[in-house]
Amino acid sequence: MAERQSAGAGLLRRLRPRRRDEPAPGDPRNIGWLYVLPGLAFYVLFTLAPLVHTVYYSLFSWDGLTAKTYVGLSNYSSAFVDSALRSSFVHSAVLIAFYAVIPVILGLLLTAALTRHPVRGFRFFRTALFLPQLIAGVVIAQAWTWIYDDNGPLNWALREVGLGSLARPWLGDFSWALPAIGTIGTWVTYGLCMVLFVSGVQKIPSTLYDAARVDGAGAVREFLAVTLPGLRGEVLVALVLTTINALRSFDIVYNTTAGGPGGTTLVPSMYMYQNAFLYNKVGYAAAVATILAVTIFVLAAIVLRVGDRSERA
Amino acid sequence: MGGIRLDGATKVYPNGVTAVEAVSLEIPDGEFMVLVGPSGCGKSTLLRMIAGLEHVTEGRIFIGDEDVTSVQPRARDIAMVFQNYALYPQMTVEDNLGFGLKLRRVRKNERERRVTDVARILGLDTLMARKPAALSGGQRQRVAMGRAMVREPKAFLMDEPLSNLDAKLRVTMRGELARLHDRLGVTTVYVTHDQVEAMTLGQRVAVLRDGVLQQCDTPQNLFHHPANLFVAAFMGSPSMNLVDAAVERDRVTFAGFSLPLPDDSPLAGETREAILGIRPTDLRHSREASPELPRITVRADVVEELGGVSNLLFLLDAPRVVTDATRAAAEAGSDDEGTLLADDQRARFCASVDGRRNVDVGEEVELAIDNTHLHFFDADTGRVLGDSTIPA
Ligand SMILES: Nc1ncnc2c1ncn2[C@@H]1O[C@H](COP(=O)(O)OP(=O)(O)OP(=O)(O)O)[C@@H](O)[C@H]1O
Ligand SMILES: [Mg+2]
Repeated sequence: MAERQSAGAGLLRRLRPRRRDEPAPGDPRNIGWLYVLPGLAFYVLFTLAPLVHTVYYSLFSWDGLTAKTYVGLSNYSSAFVDSALRSSFVHSAVLIAFYAVIPVILGLLLTAALTRHPVRGFRFFRTALFLPQLIAGVVIAQAWTWIYDDNGPLNWALREVGLGSLARPWLGDFSWALPAIGTIGTWVTYGLCMVLFVSGVQKIPSTLYDAARVDGAGAVREFLAVTLPGLRGEVLVALVLTTINALRSFDIVYNTTAGGPGGTTLVPSMYMYQNAFLYNKVGYAAAVATILAVTIFVLAAIVLRVGDRSERA
Repeated sequence: MGGIRLDGATKVYPNGVTAVEAVSLEIPDGEFMVLVGPSGCGKSTLLRMIAGLEHVTEGRIFIGDEDVTSVQPRARDIAMVFQNYALYPQMTVEDNLGFGLKLRRVRKNERERRVTDVARILGLDTLMARKPAALSGGQRQRVAMGRAMVREPKAFLMDEPLSNLDAKLRVTMRGELARLHDRLGVTTVYVTHDQVEAMTLGQRVAVLRDGVLQQCDTPQNLFHHPANLFVAAFMGSPSMNLVDAAVERDRVTFAGFSLPLPDDSPLAGETREAILGIRPTDLRHSREASPELPRITVRADVVEELGGVSNLLFLLDAPRVVTDATRAAAEAGSDDEGTLLADDQRARFCASVDGRRNVDVGEEVELAIDNTHLHFFDADTGRVLGDSTIPA
């Protein structure tokens, strides 16, 4: 894309002679920097600077109080063989399924159903669905801790319908704690996806649906040929946002299981917190933070890249 | 192949709007039928009912010999062309063309053959790998046409397919459409609000107003034998001149003028009030017309010189004819004639005279009136009076 553009610009310049320093209309101009300057300043000050700082700390062995010693990349090499860290990333992968994949698929299916059979009063649902986005993570965690509690409403309901054998302290269960946390994530991000998709669908011209119907498309082909391509941008945004949410999820884990039981819900950000503030291994925590940041960055880039490719293909 | 028959087709939207009211229409196999009318008169709704995209409230719709009133669009074997083309943006031109066939499980080699054929006919061969976003408006329009053509359907349904094109391209595509229809001979229902398009394309034209079919006939007959005031005022540009008149046996009097009525004129021999209609082209410069025709002398208030013809606008000493029908037709008029002299409450007449006759504003002109082509309408019902070609 970039190559095509510059080739086109070059052609333009050749066709129409102009003064050397005069930019062609539509060419990027330096004045653009002025517009982004305020945002950029904040970004450098509050995002980039701490990031650089973190990377810098990751090269030291430091307990956070006494003098720090330079250890080079040895924090990274120990991270590489740290099985706790590795399993925390595996837990993250599970959470991505709950935070990103399930909500996006669920959102798409429901949006498709809604476009075929409009529901009255959907505006109310839309607000309701979006609400979890506005509630602080701590509050959500508290609410769900109560729901999942041994004597909470979930177990009560199970016992009421005669499935008492399934009842358990969900967040204290070795194999159920992680899916339980994931379900909280699904509940939170699903509304976001839904709102994104439903507003996206409204931008798809209705004649496209008519054309598909006349062409002979049933519900499935209509979804594949019209709704899904029309929502490409929204799906990408949703995937990136929710994946990042999953990877850096901290508040919900911290306020429900704090990584337990037995580390089965340990996620990288939780592990970083433990190293920095419980084990006094600030340098190592910084290395974990850096690895997490790089992972998020790479994953987001891949998602965007794949989406971009599929559009052009 | 198949004709289309509408039998009292009615559409009432859930919000209570009756968009189409008891329309009965027979479109024989292979005919090019144009639906025309002002905005909101129900043209699109009627077309969508034929396509099966709109539920029919009452009445029946037949395609071929089959009653399709409650048949799904995909089973009706019709193809539709939309105003905004409705091409799938993520598909190439080739995929857009072939999509309908793919869904109908047409075998691959057959599909490719049809797509290539149509692409060649429409000159799309070199654009097959492009996406719609990389096409010009005219090219998109062609792809939309092609998508309908590859299907080889019983009928084409087109909803203002040319209205997003610029004026020049519209004329070109109009010609192409007419040629395509001659070549393929497929029944076509074409919606437009542009009466020039309607007159040039349609073998027959159906005029709708407020969901009610006003008249359906050949363009010539619509123009020369309008069934009512609305059709008379809607068809033709500049539109028909209208004025209150009194017929007394062999003379008609209006705005201080009195003309003799030929024996075969409608209403000749009767005595009654009526609305008199005269086409601008039936008002000629005195020196160009046969000496037998009656003359009137008027003062030109506005002169529009269009080259070949000049439109002389002048006000008569009579109130303007204002009925629902004329108001609706005037609102639909796309040209600016409605705005000229609009604030004057007197009847405004227009004469289309030879452009070589130089007439200045304010000048007195003598005009000959072709009194063999006068139209009379009932002031209350708007129906044409005394036209034997129109069934009562
Ligand atoms: N989905 C709908 N729900 C309710 N009323 C509708 C709907 N679609 C159209 N209408 C109404 O039905 C009438 C006919 O609409 P239609 O679109 O058929 O007009 P049209 O002749 O195609 O006009 P145009 O030339 O502007 O396209 C209008 O009064 C319109 O407001
Ligand atoms: Mg319409």
